[in-house]
Amino acid sequence: MKEYILLMISAALVNNVILARFLGLCSFMGVTTRIDTAVGMGMATTFVITVSSMADWVVEAYLLQPYGLGYLRTVTFILVIAAAVQFTEMIVKKVSPPLFQMLGIYLPLITTNCAVLGVALLLVEGRMNFIGATLFAFASSIGYSMVMVIFAGLRERMALADIPRLFAGPPIGFIVASLLALAFMGFSGMSTS
Amino acid sequence: MGEFADSTTDFSAPAMVEGIAQVVAVEGNMAWLVPEQTSSCGACASASACGAKGIGTTASRLELRRFQLVNNSNLAVGERVIVGIRENALLRASITAYVIPLTTLLTAGALAQWAIGRDVVTMAAMFAGLALGLWFARIGAGRLLVRGDLAPRFLRRASAGETCNLE
Repeated sequence: MKEYILLMISAALVNNVILARFLGLCSFMGVTTRIDTAVGMGMATTFVITVSSMADWVVEAYLLQPYGLGYLRTVTFILVIAAAVQFTEMIVKKVSPPLFQMLGIYLPLITTNCAVLGVALLLVEGRMNFIGATLFAFASSIGYSMVMVIFAGLRERMALADIPRLFAGPPIGFIVASLLALAFMGFSGMSTS
Repeated sequence: MGEFADSTTDFSAPAMVEGIAQVVAVEGNMAWLVPEQTSSCGACASASACGAKGIGTTASRLELRRFQLVNNSNLAVGERVIVGIRENALLRASITAYVIPLTTLLTAGALAQWAIGRDVVTMAAMFAGLALGLWFARIGAGRLLVRGDLAPRFLRRASAGETCNLE
């Protein structure tokens, strides 16, 4: 139990997908202009990363490894992720068409999010069991969503600040992101003893 | 930039998420609209280099998101209007669609792993948990729909040249 909790803390905070591994930076800068879009994107990405990582683990364990097809890993995982996004879209549409109308905009954006593929490839490196891989993917995506929401909140505050014209927009966004990454580096000093 | 909210801003009013939509049909006192905003990032200045550009923007995709409004304002086909939904409605919808199924999926998987400890059983339990969660989500979405939380509201007509980047 303790090892799973440490795995999740490590994935969400210490090795944060955005601030430590630099994955998903396009959505990090593009979808964080408002908190509501960041929350919507974060939750959709959390669902897709968790589901697609589970599918990727199954494909890796029962198809790629036994038949020595490791060289097809990246292509296969991209296919699985695209299928997972499509599956999620179909399910949301089936469960509730009004929900799909409201949230459907975020789903196609996830297909091009490198964090989804990055987490799936990290699972292979980690050689985890199924539940470990699922919890790692879930915690990684929670870390992604958390940073998205924090950064969106900071950007909403910055919109009201008197920022010099030279720094306005993406430049001050990148400076704040680097300060946030420095703050998250503090988690690497955590100890369990 | 550099402008502060004026003193007349009503911060007690529920925050709305706004977007532009175009009226594509009028049937009796109902109007059919298609959202104009093409991506959640609002198509930024670096759109030409962005991988998200073009995804979710084709006519067929936008047509899938066609929605209906009561036409109290005499809207005509081709008019551009600003529609909005309450900010907390978006949060509730996201929780209903994603958090509920994910919670049941992970709970079922954790219980199966703790009780039996075999990957195949855990996978089956997670699949069952996901199905159960989607069923709960369907019930939750039905409740949101009955309360009218999922329906966009007409706010005003868009002025000429108004873009989807509403900030």
